[in-house]
Amino acid sequence: MQIISRCFLVYAVCGIFCLTAAAQCPNRPNAGTVVQDALSLSSTNGVLNADFAIAHSVDQAGFTHYCYIYKTATGYAEAPTLRLNQGDQLLLGVKNHIELGNTKTKESSFSMKMDMSDPLAVCGDTGTETIASTNVHFHGLNVPPTCHSDNVINTLIQPNTPGFQFNFQIPADEPPGLYWYHPHIHGFTEFQVNGGAAGAIVVEGMEKFRPEVTGLTERVFTIRQQYLVPWIPGPYQLSINFQVADFPNEPNPVIEMKPGEKQFWRIANATIQDFLQLQFLVNGTAQPVELIALDGYPLAKTRNETSILVPPASRAEFIVQAPASGQTGSFMTQTYSTGPTGNPDLEQTLATIKLTGDGNSGQPIKPAAPAAPPISDHLKFANLKDRAPTTSRNLYFSEEFGGTNGPIQFYITVDGQKQRVFEPNEKPVITTKVGAIEDWTIENRALETHAFHIHQIHFMMLEVDGKPVTNDMRDTIEIPYWEGVGHPYHSVKVRMDFSDPTIAGTFLFHCHILLHEDLGMMHKILVEP
Amino acid sequence: MKTKWTTCLPCIASTLLGLSLVVGSAAAATNPHLLVTNDDVAPTSPNSVSFYTIGNNGSLTLSQTVLTGGVGIGGGYFGMNRVNVLNGSSQQCVYASDADTSDIVGIVVSTATVGGSATGSATDTGLSNGIGLVMNSQYLYASFSDSNTIGTFAVEPGCALTFIGDTAVAGLQSGVIDAMAVHGNILIATFGDGSIESFDISGGTPVSNGDEQNSTGAVSAQGATYPTGIDITQDGHYALFGDTSTAAVVEVSDISSGKLSKTVVYQSNAGINSSNIMLSPDETLLYIVDTQGDTVSASFFDASTGKLSGGCVSGKLKGYVTDFSYLAGLALENNTGNGGGIYVAEFGAPSSIAEVAVTSSSGKCTLKEAPNSPVSDANSSGLLSIGVFPPRAF
Repeated sequence: MQIISRCFLVYAVCGIFCLTAAAQCPNRPNAGTVVQDALSLSSTNGVLNADFAIAHSVDQAGFTHYCYIYKTATGYAEAPTLRLNQGDQLLLGVKNHIELGNTKTKESSFSMKMDMSDPLAVCGDTGTETIASTNVHFHGLNVPPTCHSDNVINTLIQPNTPGFQFNFQIPADEPPGLYWYHPHIHGFTEFQVNGGAAGAIVVEGMEKFRPEVTGLTERVFTIRQQYLVPWIPGPYQLSINFQVADFPNEPNPVIEMKPGEKQFWRIANATIQDFLQLQFLVNGTAQPVELIALDGYPLAKTRNETSILVPPASRAEFIVQAPASGQTGSFMTQTYSTGPTGNPDLEQTLATIKLTGDGNSGQPIKPAAPAAPPISDHLKFANLKDRAPTTSRNLYFSEEFGGTNGPIQFYITVDGQKQRVFEPNEKPVITTKVGAIEDWTIENRALETHAFHIHQIHFMMLEVDGKPVTNDMRDTIEIPYWEGVGHPYHSVKVRMDFSDPTIAGTFLFHCHILLHEDLGMMHKILVEP
Repeated sequence: MKTKWTTCLPCIASTLLGLSLVVGSAAAATNPHLLVTNDDVAPTSPNSVSFYTIGNNGSLTLSQTVLTGGVGIGGGYFGMNRVNVLNGSSQQCVYASDADTSDIVGIVVSTATVGGSATGSATDTGLSNGIGLVMNSQYLYASFSDSNTIGTFAVEPGCALTFIGDTAVAGLQSGVIDAMAVHGNILIATFGDGSIESFDISGGTPVSNGDEQNSTGAVSAQGATYPTGIDITQDGHYALFGDTSTAAVVEVSDISSGKLSKTVVYQSNAGINSSNIMLSPDETLLYIVDTQGDTVSASFFDASTGKLSGGCVSGKLKGYVTDFSYLAGLALENNTGNGGGIYVAEFGAPSSIAEVAVTSSSGKCTLKEAPNSPVSDANSSGLLSIGVFPPRAF
């Protein structure tokens, strides 16, 4: 049970030394300028080898920045996009240069303990997990939960140590699409992601499965979020590729397109809690866009949407067509209600479209293979709909408020078990075996919308509120808030495929509103070999 | 122990300012029937206590606002009462806490003036989650939620207070003190870690009865439920706890021995979180505020057995989500029968006070929000605690 709210603990810590931190993060783009894609780092001969540092600073406006820095020939780039092909190897070195001052006593008073119950499970550095510790989660990738791969439970990278090397292979049948990387250090994830520590991963080859994108200019937009005071949830600012979208306080970011041009946009919601309801408007009217993929998984069949809900951590990839000459265009997120106890997600223009004869910073998608193979033959989780579940489970989200200032408890619970918050040394609440096919029904019994995410695998959507839906593959899905006594709980039913023996091990499922995750709306699942 | 007792020039000034806001004189009536609030105004402005006259139909009319001279925090724990009413033989007072300035102010009901304010020890503070108050005719007890202390204050003439001393407390798992209740020589406290404890106050300062224990609900839910608000039956036989939970959970402990016994848990899906509870004057109904939801419920209570059964639930109170985000403290329209009506603090900006009419007979009850409900408490953007004068007899 949480006795003292995290807000006050962090205030005690950050209030003393956060503002004294050295400026280490690169400057971010000025408001109202042309939005540029992040630097791309592409694999060569089957390997992508890169070194990052994660750093921390506070900008002139008082916003806390956490940043992934990559050293280029001419300077430093923030949060490059990692581009790999199916089957490629990622070698990623990460050094922790987060420097928050020297108040060790204060710092240690706000700390979490890693799960060191199994000495063999230690991965990377040891010691107490603090606000200056970090690690990396490769969100959405279907890779093993092992050390040097995607194992956030045990991976620890402490400040000013030699660093840590991630080294794993993108599966040969990994869905081509947009993924992302971010810190996942329990108790502090929100602060680091809120500060901007997040970047995109592209598994190349979308054109092989969705030839509609062939030849189009590709843009990768990462939507982030920042609070002026990081421990108070709102008001906040959204940003697009680090350019603040805060109209009318700041001029809108600008996206350049040729009149009538079609582009392939890949959007990562790297916010800590914002449910983006994306729209592309021409002359003020939302236009249909051709949805290509969700959460890095190509759709079995594209569909036209005028509004795409992208929950925190989710991704959407779609084709947009620029306005004709003389028309205006904009890219927006619309207001989305997250319920009585949720944060307001407000309407905001993310960028205005500037028509230009030659300007864009994307790159054309390669030509498709002559005959695109059916998805079912070549991708992970193919034919999952036709596989019979071996187990069914029911889970639910719930919340408990002790006062207006906390303590607040956020739970995700397997039905029949006790509600409790995540503890790093807890035993898995679910144990299954490699080969299991499980149907999970996840209810939301809280007065706030939650975003369910499981590591290591995608899942297939089966039902929403008991009604069949298109069988999209997702790794993050929203579950709307409960309207209160007398109303049914909203729910999703999803199919989990634990067939891949390489994902055997212990990993996490949780709400991807990062405050909730940090406060324990998360548990472990063990997949036995 | 250091005693602070003050003539408090700021208090005098604020009282004068408060009186300048007078829009009525009901507080000076011979038999005042009032609802009082601790507006708990956040640090940007001075805190205040608002006085509302209660009409014959239960309607509320703001009569005056008295500045406390201190500063509030605009929020905190749901279950603790930040305003208390004394209907003594020699004086009638309203006491309110200022969480930011860590003081407690006494207001003379007949004149709506500040009689004085007092602070506890130098370390007593409720800055993050508030200062709860309970009292009998001799002593006022203040739960300081940050210092985890119970301050004992002697009630003095003129609604003044004298600080006597502190009692350091903690839950079984080092939990922070939340709410308190007193009855005769027993004071009961709840802690945020799921534990409860009683104290002997026969000597004034609380002395533990050595019965600290984790509540049954907290144990069975592994901390996902824990007692918060407290009420005690008129005969002192039972203590009832409203739990912070994801459902409506009430626990009952037999305290007839003078100590807490293992609690019995009652749970329903009539609410989402039940941090605030109150027995009706005739003890036939227990009113339960759906803190995180938008309703009030009542459960039938058998004062001879301590058992709860059945009951009723109100409809959604008006303005939930749009005007207020939490329901919190409650008070009763009358101090006889079933209370006739329930007032509920609605935490919003500005806050408001809802009135819910009660009917009950033959094992059935209804709860229905009054047509003119809610009434705005324009002075407060963080209303959690209200009280009624004259108070219930126990």
